[in-house]
Amino acid sequence: MSAQIQGRYHGKGEPLFWLYIKTALLTMVKLGIYRFWAKTRIRKYIWSATSANEDSFEYTGTGLEKFLGFLVAIVILAIYLGIVQMVLFFAGLNLFMDPETASGADIVRQVAAIYITLFAVMPLLLFAQYRARRYKMARTRWRGIRFGMENAAWGYVWRAIGHYFLTLITLGILAPRASFYLEKYMTDRTWYGDARFEQDGKWTALYPAMKHLFIGAGFIIVGVALAALFEAIVAAILLSIVGYIWMIVGAVYYRVQAFNYLTAHKVLDDKIGFYSEVKTSTVIFTYIVGILIIGAVSSIAFTALFVVGFVGAFVTGMSFEASLSGSMVGAVALAIFGVVGYIAILLSLGALSLVIIVQPIIAHLVDGVQVHGAEHLDDITQRSADLGADAEGFADALDIGGAI
Amino acid sequence: MREVGRYYDGATGQRLTVDLELTDAGVMRLLHAELEEGVQEWPYDQMRALQDQARDDQLVLSLSAQRSDDSGLIDTVRLTVVGQALIRDIKALCPDLDKRDVARGTGFKVVTRLGMAVVAFCMMIFVILPALANTFASIIPIEREVAYGKSVVRNMERIFGGSNAGDLTCSSPKGDAAIAQMLARLTSRTKTEYDLNIAVMDHEMVNAFAALGGQIVLMRGLIEQAESADEVAAVLAHEIAHVETRDPTRGALRAAGTAGLLSMVVGDFTGGGVALAMAQWVLDASYTREAEAQADLYAREMLGRADVSTAGMARFFDSLDGLKGEMPDLPIYLSSHPDSLERGEDARAFAQDQGTTTPVITDREWTELRAICE
Repeated sequence: MSAQIQGRYHGKGEPLFWLYIKTALLTMVKLGIYRFWAKTRIRKYIWSATSANEDSFEYTGTGLEKFLGFLVAIVILAIYLGIVQMVLFFAGLNLFMDPETASGADIVRQVAAIYITLFAVMPLLLFAQYRARRYKMARTRWRGIRFGMENAAWGYVWRAIGHYFLTLITLGILAPRASFYLEKYMTDRTWYGDARFEQDGKWTALYPAMKHLFIGAGFIIVGVALAALFEAIVAAILLSIVGYIWMIVGAVYYRVQAFNYLTAHKVLDDKIGFYSEVKTSTVIFTYIVGILIIGAVSSIAFTALFVVGFVGAFVTGMSFEASLSGSMVGAVALAIFGVVGYIAILLSLGALSLVIIVQPIIAHLVDGVQVHGAEHLDDITQRSADLGADAEGFADALDIGGAI
Repeated sequence: MREVGRYYDGATGQRLTVDLELTDAGVMRLLHAELEEGVQEWPYDQMRALQDQARDDQLVLSLSAQRSDDSGLIDTVRLTVVGQALIRDIKALCPDLDKRDVARGTGFKVVTRLGMAVVAFCMMIFVILPALANTFASIIPIEREVAYGKSVVRNMERIFGGSNAGDLTCSSPKGDAAIAQMLARLTSRTKTEYDLNIAVMDHEMVNAFAALGGQIVLMRGLIEQAESADEVAAVLAHEIAHVETRDPTRGALRAAGTAGLLSMVVGDFTGGGVALAMAQWVLDASYTREAEAQADLYAREMLGRADVSTAGMARFFDSLDGLKGEMPDLPIYLSSHPDSLERGEDARAFAQDQGTTTPVITDREWTELRAICE
């Protein structure tokens, strides 16, 4: 007999909305330092809302350790980036030609020299990406047992660079190979207590998930061919637009289907299996409705702010022009009102997107996950603690990983 | 009434459904056959509830233990209780449910780490990177500097609205001759390392700038604002000083090195953009203020050697100070240039000690220079 567990998400919109507003205000007041605590509190909420078999997940990360990790990371990054960027710029300068005499090849070389700076950051971004996932795992518990990942960030960096390079030169055809092997690299190094995860499956099995990307690309290719062969410009433009939108939707479809496939082929401790049924339509619908609502709210709010400000200017007895040059007190009051209103709207929009886009998608994802062979979970025992040396500090300094 | 809770010991994933007893002796009893001796006692004042939880129909409890600032080490026993009545009772009995335990020595650790990070970061930005920029600026071949400087000037022109290279450059045979004459006079007794290339740009801004490799641009607005050729000569001497000390080269290298470092510290939050702009401003100002003072000194000496009165310089700074009234007054540490009045004073004092001086170019040449953009 195999016991089955269904994931369930219990989070609600309103408490998360106010938690976001409260922490975002504190972040602003404390000049950005509080952002580590803000992120921690939002995560605690979302983790605790996620449950399986009635047991909630727990996020044990702290704002303090994130802050300390960040302090270490910025010093290392400042040294690395400062020196590398300057050396590369210097090298670029040495390639510089007089613009009046430079040939095409020279110009290409110059541009390359300038953009190479980006590649200096690339390994760090990948490094930070792995470390951030590792930190999140190490700070996640379920039934008191820790998740964890092995300390193997550099191995990830080299593999990722190789896979992305292959994807780039094959114009994206090998993208499934990259997503599969990079996910496998991380999954195979992930633990729950003393049990190890493993990624089964084949990378070629991800190709069906690519189908809408190929269809979209097909539209664009036909469009370009029409333009080149028959000069049918209008048809070509229409086809390209259709193809472009098809590809955007196709990219979401790919990510969702790849997630389902990869989840279904994960195995924990050789015995415990998973199943995921995320629906592309739900994800896209949530996105579109969310963006429409946020767009509507923001245009109404900004219009209201402007109208109230304008009326306010008249009520305090001055024309719009007078407020620019005349009565200082009134102008300052109006400016403060404008700034406060503007910030309030921005914060609300951030909170809204968390509550009506991010959280519903997480909820849909959690609700669609099943665990098979759950009776074996009782045999799993605790792993030793992973000390989070930089606790995501690199990811924060390089601004990746987003809010959650 | 018999109450239960779900107990996890933090060592195995085994769920124990324990019986709970809220006693009058200041402890909660957990009873289960598989617990050691069948019972555990949790003192009310050491019970803690997890914070920022999504579910209000359950309470997850832990014990205050030896805390660490590394959350990986925090104690792992968990007890989940369900039911409004039980939650209410526990909340009433336990005084410190929401207390945040902080490990000993945390404050000290934060202060030392913060101090070390600030010192290291400032060392990097104010000492190491500028020193590196200096070294690089002194080893870069001049022709590379000239090539880059030309493209900077061209970009500048594009920013001010010229669609093609040279669109905004003013030139007239007599005006060019006047500039050449001014330059010859200034450099007659002061040798310069660079071939100076001076252009007048058709824009009303009262400004002038030096790009890398001897490229100097004077704006039309500056020439119109000046009352005499000596004022223009003073500005030109100031820009020549920048060229000779390789300030623009150093600045460009430093900008490349510090790019992105500040935004890394400030992070991405609402209002962060403003904080970032202000920090960048203070940083730039701290770099350039000293270089500006040096360039003024060089300019005064250059004018002095060429027997051109620095009274023109004083007048120019006075008029800059007048212009400033239209803009907000910035404290000195925020402004990239030293205070105009002070600079004017220095120039006036220098002028008083000068011997015989003559105008830098003749009145006729000055008239032709003013007409260069027509």
